[in-house]
Amino acid sequence: MKQQLRSCACIALLLLAASNPAMADGRVVNKVYHPYVDALHYELEYRLLAQDEQSGKQNLAQLQQLSLGRSIGTRFFAEVYLVAAEHRSRGYELAAWETELKWQLTEQGEYAVDWGLLLEYEDELNSDAQELSFGLLAEKELGRFSGTANLLLVNEWGEHVSNERETTFATQIRYRHNPAFEPGLEFYAGQNYQGMGPVMQGSIRTGIRKSLHWELGSILGLDQDSPSNTWRVLLEYEF
Amino acid sequence: MGRPTRVAAASLALLMSWVAEAGVPEILLVIRDHLFFPSTLEIPAGVKVRIVIDNQDSTPEEFESYPLNREKVISGNSRTVVFIGPLPPGEYPFFGEFYPKTAQGKVVVR
Repeated sequence: MKQQLRSCACIALLLLAASNPAMADGRVVNKVYHPYVDALHYELEYRLLAQDEQSGKQNLAQLQQLSLGRSIGTRFFAEVYLVAAEHRSRGYELAAWETELKWQLTEQGEYAVDWGLLLEYEDELNSDAQELSFGLLAEKELGRFSGTANLLLVNEWGEHVSNERETTFATQIRYRHNPAFEPGLEFYAGQNYQGMGPVMQGSIRTGIRKSLHWELGSILGLDQDSPSNTWRVLLEYEF
Repeated sequence: MGRPTRVAAASLALLMSWVAEAGVPEILLVIRDHLFFPSTLEIPAGVKVRIVIDNQDSTPEEFESYPLNREKVISGNSRTVVFIGPLPPGEYPFFGEFYPKTAQGKVVVR
């Protein structure tokens, strides 16, 4: 296993070394993924991102995602998304579909850090533009605090997008106060974006193996290239 | 890539090379008739423990504990492993999410 983890470290460094500058697409802020899979489990998820307008830029106003996911065995979780976007110039449109696969690599608590992998494919519906993302998910527990980090390499290609490769990094620290309320802090960095802000999340049990999970965050841009604020909302029904 | 990204990525790579030592103590926890046996697990403080959960029922069960920050499904008639600790002294309740009225237990750390 040590050899496997060292290989992962090498892959991460290679991904970073291979990354090139690229235009931000306004989607660096998204969700921080945990490297765990809950077996015999379905998820119906809704996400909303709402960005402040940037002067001189036609950045996205809103992005909404609806997805259905299920676990495959004890180590994999697959999810399919529909993505709707509100552009400042041309209003709402059904923008893309996505699919992703999460792979839990290590047992929670077995090693000093828990590891997972994420593979994601996105195809835009109104233009010839595709995106493939691949990266590492890591989580470390320190008492009632949990720290999570995602490092993803994103490849974009197609007629209506310049072929490019970029990296995104997202991290979260949360305090496990009680199941219904966990405050935290998130940081996101990608090409032409850096943001950090407070988040809250929690889960409410609604029955045997049924629960409603919620997340709410306000991610503040840290430089002039980033929107001054991005609201992040997530609602997830787990069954 | 900006400096914060590089610093964060370097930290991540450093964490990757840091893995725990093997050879942790092991405890057997049996699920039978939707009950945990034993229902109380005693472990020493400050030690990581490997709990082998043997589900002898034909139906699945989930070991769940918010205080322990663990949830793990065990299929019927099968085994799985849950790692807990190192923990400070105290009591950490757990339950079976499929049969929460009967499947109850706790970890006592001394």
